[in-house]
Amino acid sequence: MSFSDETLMAYADGELEPALAARVEEAMRADPRVEEAVRRHRALRADVFAAFAGVLDEPVPERLQPGAAPATAAEPATKPVSAPVAGAGAATVHSLEARRAARQAQAARPEPVRPRWGALAASLAVGVLAGALGWQAFDNAGQAPFGRRGGAMVAQGELADALSQRLAAEPAQADAVRLGVSFRDRDGAYCRSFMLGTTGGFACRQGGEWRIPVMAQAEQAQAGAYRQAGSAMPAAVLDAIDQRIAGGTLDAPAERAARDRGWPGGK
Amino acid sequence: MSNSLENDIAALLPRLRRFARSITFHREDADDVVQIAVERALTRSAQWEPGSRLDSWMFRIVKNAWIDEVRARARRDQLFAPEEEGEHVGDDRAEAQQQRMAIEQALRRLSEEHRMVVGLVLVDGMPYKEAAEVLDIPMGTLTSRLARAREALQALLSDRTRNKE
Repeated sequence: MSFSDETLMAYADGELEPALAARVEEAMRADPRVEEAVRRHRALRADVFAAFAGVLDEPVPERLQPGAAPATAAEPATKPVSAPVAGAGAATVHSLEARRAARQAQAARPEPVRPRWGALAASLAVGVLAGALGWQAFDNAGQAPFGRRGGAMVAQGELADALSQRLAAEPAQADAVRLGVSFRDRDGAYCRSFMLGTTGGFACRQGGEWRIPVMAQAEQAQAGAYRQAGSAMPAAVLDAIDQRIAGGTLDAPAERAARDRGWPGGK
Repeated sequence: MSNSLENDIAALLPRLRRFARSITFHREDADDVVQIAVERALTRSAQWEPGSRLDSWMFRIVKNAWIDEVRARARRDQLFAPEEEGEHVGDDRAEAQQQRMAIEQALRRLSEEHRMVVGLVLVDGMPYKEAAEVLDIPMGTLTSRLARAREALQALLSDRTRNKE
């Protein structure tokens, strides 16, 4: 007995009535290929679901709330916008052009908008973080991994060395630094994600330093199938990378070439 | 307009944003779509029959907001900057993140119809019957469309895997 791919898909999605589902299960036991087809459907479903699951945990922007006044709904809530956006009330609320013009005006401002996580991270005292996020190990090893330069958080010590020198493909070192992906941000600067103990973040090469726009503590590993043992990169960091990344992540040769050239670019 | 409808819509916002994220090409477009949908829903609240499914109605408005208003001007190009897929597997975290980005990119290469079914069934987890109602298509069409969308997605993702080897 053979089933169409659609039927196997529907089984994997839990959409078959019990009698038909039972026959599919029988076929799965009899034929490893059927079992494999169902497994692939389930895996794809789970992967796609996992890729977007984090959106549910994001704070919903105020402008989306049903109670938000139409005039303010057309503007980003965070700052006054000089573009003529919301003058005409409800009629303009539906105008995507106006909304986009508002955003472009925002983007054109000389001062880039700092993502809220960045503001959060920068506002936290390094000392507090060091205690709370488990960096004590570094106190013994020498320089603390984070410092501040004019309000920005920068990597130093072993973390800075690892960001500058180590390739992600290299085997883990004795220290707690694990490197993730490398990419270029929209300003052309090279950025690298890292985990330091249970703290995740990414750093971008600017002015000869590794500045850290976003950092957060990893959630503990979940029991689900999509978290390996250990801690995972916090969702806030992944989101911030999504917002900054231009193009894709660097492959190993590109990462090596960037390192060998000293991570050039950026401002 | 009743406050309870507003509250019920507010409760749906995380799901609506997630769905919008899966069918648009840019996160700001996704939020614009949701905002437009919320505004439309409130101005047309008389069209919603209390007792019927609010989520199906809202998802349909989100879908239409994308098709009517945002799609033509969406910034698809920004996301198709020359792509360099990660090759190495540095650690589990990097791999999980790369996989997530790969799935988002693959989804953006699907046809509109395919993205819609994937967004409803795989991303939101909606039962076939409800997804078919949102899209206003028969169950049989939903099922075959979903199967083809998965094939296309699978092919895009296994291309990526092959390139890594």
